[in-house]
Amino acid sequence: MTQQVGSGSKREKPLMARFSLDAWALAFALLLSLLVWIGLIKHVPW
Amino acid sequence: MASSIAIRQSLPLGIFKRIAEILPGLLLLAAVGYAGKFLERSFAATGKAHHLTLPNIEYVLWAIVIGLLIANTTGVPAVFKPGLATYEFWLKSGIVLLGSRFLLGDVLKLGGVSLVLVAIEIAISLLFMTALGRAFGLKPKLTTLLAVGSSICGVSAIIATKGAIEADDEDSSFAIAAILALGAIALFIFPLVGRWLGMSDQAYGLWAGLGIDNTAEVTAAGALYSDAAAKVAVLAKTARNAMIGFVVLGYALHWARKEGTEGVGNKAAFLWAKFPKFVLGFLVISAVATAHVFSKDQLTSLANLSRWAFLLTFAGVGLRTNIAEMRKQGLRPFVVGALGEVAIAILTLGLVFGADKFLR
Repeated sequence: MTQQVGSGSKREKPLMARFSLDAWALAFALLLSLLVWIGLIKHVPW
Repeated sequence: MASSIAIRQSLPLGIFKRIAEILPGLLLLAAVGYAGKFLERSFAATGKAHHLTLPNIEYVLWAIVIGLLIANTTGVPAVFKPGLATYEFWLKSGIVLLGSRFLLGDVLKLGGVSLVLVAIEIAISLLFMTALGRAFGLKPKLTTLLAVGSSICGVSAIIATKGAIEADDEDSSFAIAAILALGAIALFIFPLVGRWLGMSDQAYGLWAGLGIDNTAEVTAAGALYSDAAAKVAVLAKTARNAMIGFVVLGYALHWARKEGTEGVGNKAAFLWAKFPKFVLGFLVISAVATAHVFSKDQLTSLANLSRWAFLLTFAGVGLRTNIAEMRKQGLRPFVVGALGEVAIAILTLGLVFGADKFLR
């Protein structure tokens, strides 16, 4: 059954490869910003 | 049904496998970066404790030097390679977060001036590098790759152009090796020249952003000068990166006409595909910060997150620089690149001094 799906339809790209590095970096940075804004990340020391 | 379950079960497994692959290299990046930070503090503390006047050596330099030492003595085992490759992810995330340290007005003003300078720099650099490549008898596509790499944004531009003009793998690895080697050299020379000329943070940042090829090296060269210079350098480089699509499109059309191939269909889609999306994130975060959505403490946290992301990047810059590998790539592309880089550095220095009055 699994074999049939593999040969019969287009094989899905892995999740990581579906988006560019830029898109992942953008999403990650925006997520961090959101977490800071809603207060889940409270203080980041340097 | 069974197949959909199989796919659903394999998805988290794939992610876990990927995390396991990148974890060793990521830990190495963090260890080298943090060692740089530790050495900066220890060096300063030693000087203070013994009443010695020691130079302030920034963590950026320590991290790069430690990385270079590891990469060129013991070498980096294969298990670390996937994680080391994430340095570019941290660089781009760091740039987006850096947007929180800019008011949108400043971005538009400095970015606008940068864009004008970038346009002049790109036009002259492309012409100069093309002439230089011809004079040295380099293959036309290798010359194109070197020209794009040194005028816009290093490795990303070379990879984007390689696909668009269907250049050989060999040509692109020559061009990438030359650009990386020259970027590593520029990283150390630019701060020295900047200090020697007594450049302001803003002028130096602009010069580094226009004159150095790779974004990681630009960020590091800026941070080696000062925090303020690093901000300006990244902004100028971001403006330069934004031009990548137009230049790659121009070359794709040129080579398609020359070789009688099909060329580019939908030009708008092509431009969008090549446009670096993190530039948009940088602008969004800057706009949100300008609208006072974040409190002062939150802005500090975002700025520090950006610094941590850059810390991993700087470690990656040293760790991926393999001098022996670069030597293998041959001398001619390197000489062409080096001559071009020196000319571009002088040209951009002149442009920056010319534009200085518009930035005050």
